[in-house]
Amino acid sequence: MDRTMGDSSRTEAGKAVAIWGAGAAAFAKSAAVARITLRQMMFYKTDFLLRCAFLLMILYVFSQLWSAAYGGGETGSVAGFTLKQLLWYLVFTEALTLAAPPICSRIEQEVKNGDVAMRLVRPISYVLYHYASFLAEAALRFAIHLLAGSLVVWPIVGAPNFGYGWAALLSLSLGALTVTFLMAAAIGLCAFWIEETRGLEFVLQKLQFTLGGMLLPIDLMPDWLQRICAWLPFRAAMYLPARAAVHSGGDHLLRDLGVQAVWLAVLGAIVAVIFRRGAVKLHVNGG
Amino acid sequence: MSTGDSGGLRAIAAFLGTCWKINLASALEYRLSFALLAGMMFINNFIWLFFWNLFFSRFPIVQGWELRDVMLMWAIGAGGFGWVNLLFGNFTRIATIVSTGELDLYLAQPKPVLLHVLASRMSITAAGDFVFGLVIFAWVGERTLLGALAFALGLLLAGLLFLGVMLHVGCLAFFIGNSEGIAQQALGSFVSLSTYPSSIFKGAARAMLFSLIPAGFISYLPIGLLKHFDPWFVTAAIAATALIGGSGIALFRFGLKRYASGNLIAARS
Amino acid sequence: MEALRARGLTKAFRVKRKDQGLGGSLRSWLRPEWEEKIAVANIDLDVGRGETVAFLGPNGAGKSTTIKMLTGILHPSSGEATVVGFTPWRERAKLAYRIGTVFGQKSQLWYHLPPLDTFELIGRIYEMKRDDYAKRREDLIERFELGPYLRTPVRKLSLGERMRCEIAASLLHRPELLFLDEPTIGLDVVVKQRIRELIRERNRSEETTVFLTSHDAGDVEELCSRVLVIHHGGLLLDEPVERIKRDVLSRKTITITLAAEVSPEELPCVQGTENVAVAGRQVRLEVDLRRAGVEEVLSGFIGRFGIEDLTVEDPPMEEIIKHIYGER
Repeated sequence: MDRTMGDSSRTEAGKAVAIWGAGAAAFAKSAAVARITLRQMMFYKTDFLLRCAFLLMILYVFSQLWSAAYGGGETGSVAGFTLKQLLWYLVFTEALTLAAPPICSRIEQEVKNGDVAMRLVRPISYVLYHYASFLAEAALRFAIHLLAGSLVVWPIVGAPNFGYGWAALLSLSLGALTVTFLMAAAIGLCAFWIEETRGLEFVLQKLQFTLGGMLLPIDLMPDWLQRICAWLPFRAAMYLPARAAVHSGGDHLLRDLGVQAVWLAVLGAIVAVIFRRGAVKLHVNGG
Repeated sequence: MSTGDSGGLRAIAAFLGTCWKINLASALEYRLSFALLAGMMFINNFIWLFFWNLFFSRFPIVQGWELRDVMLMWAIGAGGFGWVNLLFGNFTRIATIVSTGELDLYLAQPKPVLLHVLASRMSITAAGDFVFGLVIFAWVGERTLLGALAFALGLLLAGLLFLGVMLHVGCLAFFIGNSEGIAQQALGSFVSLSTYPSSIFKGAARAMLFSLIPAGFISYLPIGLLKHFDPWFVTAAIAATALIGGSGIALFRFGLKRYASGNLIAARS
Repeated sequence: MEALRARGLTKAFRVKRKDQGLGGSLRSWLRPEWEEKIAVANIDLDVGRGETVAFLGPNGAGKSTTIKMLTGILHPSSGEATVVGFTPWRERAKLAYRIGTVFGQKSQLWYHLPPLDTFELIGRIYEMKRDDYAKRREDLIERFELGPYLRTPVRKLSLGERMRCEIAASLLHRPELLFLDEPTIGLDVVVKQRIRELIRERNRSEETTVFLTSHDAGDVEELCSRVLVIHHGGLLLDEPVERIKRDVLSRKTITITLAAEVSPEELPCVQGTENVAVAGRQVRLEVDLRRAGVEEVLSGFIGRFGIEDLTVEDPPMEEIIKHIYGER
């Protein structure tokens, strides 16, 4: 969001200072949004607990299923995954999946009932506002889900001694959640034109479940499917951080970060275009 | 459920028929969204089978289960959930209906309360589930008269088990007030548990699935009923279904008494 | 110095015409027929700095469309406007720092949190200096008497308490111009009064320009110095509130419930009463205060009839507009 920049913006150096200032201001605002989001989350403790309970159950089911598939043996490896790596992989993908708040329906709701107009009269970018709020909520949930998930898997296959894998997980998770946010926001913003985004959201979710590698690492899929997945953004939102975590070594880390960066740029541009179009429609038609 | 109604069974049947006709008519008012939602559910289930297909291409047999068995498990699970949710669409909403006081509406009318509550809604997405079940059976099931009868029995048992379990969960609202969140999670968890091969669970977990959380009776149907007919298992499944249904009805009646006595008002505020 | 100036402000929407039934929906989807609907037509506005202006009109007259154009949310179809020196729809972001908005039916407060948390967020979003923010906040808390509610979650506040917090929140960043959209809607009489006092006091002490929409004639009478009436998208009236009070708001509607039924002939005849209607035990009449006082009218009843209940109301917005039309 552009702000009053004063006279110094005429010179090049002044411009740089002004841009830096605007960036710092935007960051301070986002931090404030993140803080208030976290405070409001404290109200939804039961929701939190129930979600964790579901996580515990589903991870238990997965652990039984995959233990049976691997024949209980911990020596075998399928497509480069041992049972231990596979189960921890699932902890990470499930923790990421269940961390994302329902941003798509929130945005859809605001577009439909006109709250989006009310937010436009505030000096903070609409998308940035939601991103800050999303990230705060997702980060807290992710951390708690990791703890809860460990409770199930740790006793069954042993400690997550992935070393640098943890660093890879954390550095790729930020990008992964951002990719998730951008995809959901793009669909929520479609409410400017279509009445129901539920159908689209549903399709997105299912694509993420399968092609994103939530239930099954992409390495275990048939070749033709792996090739399709390679060209889609879904794997950047789940598979990349979870795989990097269990395959410690970090040799792919730079490449993975690069993949995420490309998708962030592409999806960011798409969201920006959709939002700008939507805002124009709002300006012309009142939404 | 009160049984002392005038007119007896025939009147109740006519009443149910009318409920269903109205539900169907209002669902058909929005044909497009009906088709869309049902289609969405169909695709959702199909995506799960797609996952299982990938899974079994890596591990062809797991604890004696093959892809076909898992497909039939989904056919029974989705189909059973589908018919119950079509005909008694409020079975997932009992907690909501009790804790918001919507129940008063039904209490004020002269029909059996539980039946009236259950039959007053038709879930649209459930049509997709039900059709999915039939399509999968037609695809990989045993296409003989006996096979079809066994499958129909499977659908009946699975549906009634879902109904009975959700009845228990929904009745919680009579005793602890607002329990919508819990009921929703319980439904999600129970449905999940009933769509994984029961044979992967061992020991205590397995015992739970055939007692406290009777999802095993649903998920073992494709083996014990369809693949290798096991009279012991089938008898046990029928008995469990009857027991759970009966105790659910009793619990609802008990809760209703509490509700009518007004004790709940304090719990709600 | 002007706070707000608009010339020829017009907004036309394109609306899809839809026929009945499935065939109609299909047709309108394949070959849409557009209809032009004019929401605001050619409005001129001038509001001086420090003025308090009421923007009145019945529902659907174009009030909120106008406010949306003046805050930069909507682009006008034609015309121009300057709000505290900016063209709203071209410089919305810059304008945002200088104006405040309260939408009576939409809350900016975080529902599950105490108001203090929202204040904090707003202080950050409007980039207020920390010490300045703290001082300003304390000042507003004292003036609006918010002390007791600061640590209570918003959901537990009454509508009136919440509205006081809403208004205080939008004043934090010292806006030069405050847009209030139906600030007293749904509130009871006493609370309405308090809200009006607070707004008036802000206007006096800080020269905040106030632009207020309402369909409550009371808001206008007690708060504003000038009235703009909009109807069917056009400006119907732009006059000082004193004149309106004399000409239009000089009427009250009195409803009396009597102890027994009466026929119209039995009623006392008082100069200045009009539109007398009798339904059973209820008598409804309008009084022209320039010709008769409320007391005078009532004295005709007291003693002669048993009175069970009595209300005196301002005429509804629709009546006022009918009256203005009648005068032209």
